[in-house]
Amino acid sequence: MAKIAGLPKLSPTMEEGTLARWAKKEGDEIGIDDLVAEIETDKATMEWRSFDKTTLLKILVPEGATLKPDQPVAIFGQKGEDITALIAQAGGAAAPSASAAPSASASASASASASASASAAPSASPSPSPSATSPGRIAASPVVRKIARERSIDLGSVKGSGPHGRIIKRDVDGAPSASAPEAPQATPVAAAPRQLGVRLPSTSVKLTQMRKTIARRLTESKQNVPHFYLTIDVDAGPLVEARKLINADLEKQKEKVSVNDLLIKACAVALRRVPAVNASFTPEALVFHQVVDISVAVAVPDGLLTPVVRDADQLGVLAISKTVRDLASRAKDKKLKPEEMTGGTFSISNLGMFGIEQFAAVINPPEGAILAVGVVREEPVVKDGAVVPGQRLRMTLSCDHRVVDGAVGAEFLSVLKRLVESPVTLLV
Amino acid sequence: MRELNYRDALKEAMAEEMRRDPRVFVMGEEVGYYQGAYKVTRGLLEEFGPERVVDTPIAEAGFAGVGVGAAMTGLRPVIEFMTWNFSLVAFDQIVNNAAKMYQMSAGQYRVPIVFRGPNASARQVGAQHSHCVSPFYTNVPGLIVAYPSTPRDAKGLLKTAIRDDNPVVFLEGETLYGVKGEVPDENADETIPFGKARIAREGKHVTIVTWGRPVHTVLEVANKLAGEGIECEVIDPRTLRPLDHASIVESVKKTNRCVVVHEHWEYGGPGAEIVDRVQRDAFDYLDAPVLRATNLDVPMPYAAHLENEVIVGPARVEDAIRKVLYL
Repeated sequence: MAKIAGLPKLSPTMEEGTLARWAKKEGDEIGIDDLVAEIETDKATMEWRSFDKTTLLKILVPEGATLKPDQPVAIFGQKGEDITALIAQAGGAAAPSASAAPSASASASASASASASASAAPSASPSPSPSATSPGRIAASPVVRKIARERSIDLGSVKGSGPHGRIIKRDVDGAPSASAPEAPQATPVAAAPRQLGVRLPSTSVKLTQMRKTIARRLTESKQNVPHFYLTIDVDAGPLVEARKLINADLEKQKEKVSVNDLLIKACAVALRRVPAVNASFTPEALVFHQVVDISVAVAVPDGLLTPVVRDADQLGVLAISKTVRDLASRAKDKKLKPEEMTGGTFSISNLGMFGIEQFAAVINPPEGAILAVGVVREEPVVKDGAVVPGQRLRMTLSCDHRVVDGAVGAEFLSVLKRLVESPVTLLV
Repeated sequence: MRELNYRDALKEAMAEEMRRDPRVFVMGEEVGYYQGAYKVTRGLLEEFGPERVVDTPIAEAGFAGVGVGAAMTGLRPVIEFMTWNFSLVAFDQIVNNAAKMYQMSAGQYRVPIVFRGPNASARQVGAQHSHCVSPFYTNVPGLIVAYPSTPRDAKGLLKTAIRDDNPVVFLEGETLYGVKGEVPDENADETIPFGKARIAREGKHVTIVTWGRPVHTVLEVANKLAGEGIECEVIDPRTLRPLDHASIVESVKKTNRCVVVHEHWEYGGPGAEIVDRVQRDAFDYLDAPVLRATNLDVPMPYAAHLENEVIVGPARVEDAIRKVLYL
């Protein structure tokens, strides 16, 4: 008995998903736990695996289509089953957003007629395709579709210069033409040398799922969470020295730790000592966390992710270092599981590597605070009445005033300062 | 490096292998006293004598079959067809005996034989004598099909063919025998592996896959187009079975465009096989449909001006390249 399958909800916070890749094609038999498709959620690219032994009879949405959970994406059943009724049913139910990928822009009228085109997701607006031969479908070469997927280009807004208005590579990236074979490969943000006075149009890049999530969550945070900021300047000399000693010891193992790894450890210990900061606000109650799970902001090519170092207070610095490196590298490959990016109790964001002295970070709800770490500055300091070379570090704590009051935040920072300035106490 | 023509490169390959291995012998029509219809076997009879350079009657099925039997019993025959057109009367020996014996004897008999001779149009020899037989033989599992375009490849591939334990269909361009090129000397003992393409020219705008005689046509067109800033990458697979699929796909991933140029008819054959593999394995990299420039789909006319029209020439190659580049 054939049935329509909806877009699975693959992360607890998934509100829509993009069908990134079909791993099976129509007519393929599917075994239990076979990969059916890859779905880009707000967090990561997730695998959709089959729970049943079945056959993929019909793909209802093309790769690149963005849908809400449970919107029809495919029909499964037994080979040879009559699924025309189901296709019609799915055609009515499917209403993917206008941001559906280029290949998904079959026009509304096309979806009502032939069953083949009805299976393509109808777009909310009529297709702007200039194609003469196949109205309603954007004609684009395979490599253009690949580039569009990778760079999130909306092909509906691109004019094709190939036969019958086909969009070809040179239309999306200034590929070589005979007259200018050396033309640079322009990307949406590349600043190619140009003649002054020539007005160039701005380029629109379709929002990725990650960008949408960042926009939504940070807006929510800044609008709803009353932020206040506390900055403290600490002597980083002992921490830098401690790192040197640790790394000398680790050299044989070919391992090393960073200042940031030590700071994660120091924050974790400070949170144990000032548990009021390791807390979240909810409308009904303040929630104090029993575990210290530290979210670490990681920049990735098209945004940022906050993988979580679990039980950071229990881990040694080397273990923290290895965990962070593993999480960061998988974050860059979009291979983190959603549960690895949720459920932190406190965040650290470090922009010291860019030379930033201090900054104020936006709280990552429902966490109660985030620490923004700057660069270790070499500068003269006054010590025992004399000016000597020093190493200073500025850290700014953003607090949710609903749960962390000024004095509590200040106490946390003073504990953190003591730990950083005498790292040996981290051993206690 | 010294220069040698394609004909003498082939002769050297046979002579060197005959000196190296007493089991190697040459057999065919006019290979001995007449020194070869195209003089490819020139001097072999004098050096190796009539036991190893054997003139046969005009009986292709017969001497192809004798060759298969000799190979099964331990010799390494090189069977020359005066042209590959005449192999069609020996088709059964090649397809049913040489190609299948290893499998059907459950591995008891290997057939280390080389069938060689000139292939494709020789200019004004009529419809029956102008075949490119590559589509017939590349379709058969159990056969290796080589088709060198340069003297160096001709020599290196023929030496590999003679040493290989499988039956090899060795196609020589009938109009390539006089083509000169660099060939390493005898001491180099250079062999060229099967299934390894040669990049005849590097480029980044379009991949052109071609072999045999048309390699030279394509290079001529590529040189001309370079003047306009169009950089063609020319890939000569050298053996059509096995096919160096990876090199072709790799190149298409770089250029996003592909033209296949060949002198067999357009319908099917290695040309279509290559297009199929490109569409399958480089699909996401294509910016235009893969095009082909081929001989026209008719029996070869005798009249020179008509034959010129039928054989794939520079104009048709250039036209396909421009089309695939949307120019």
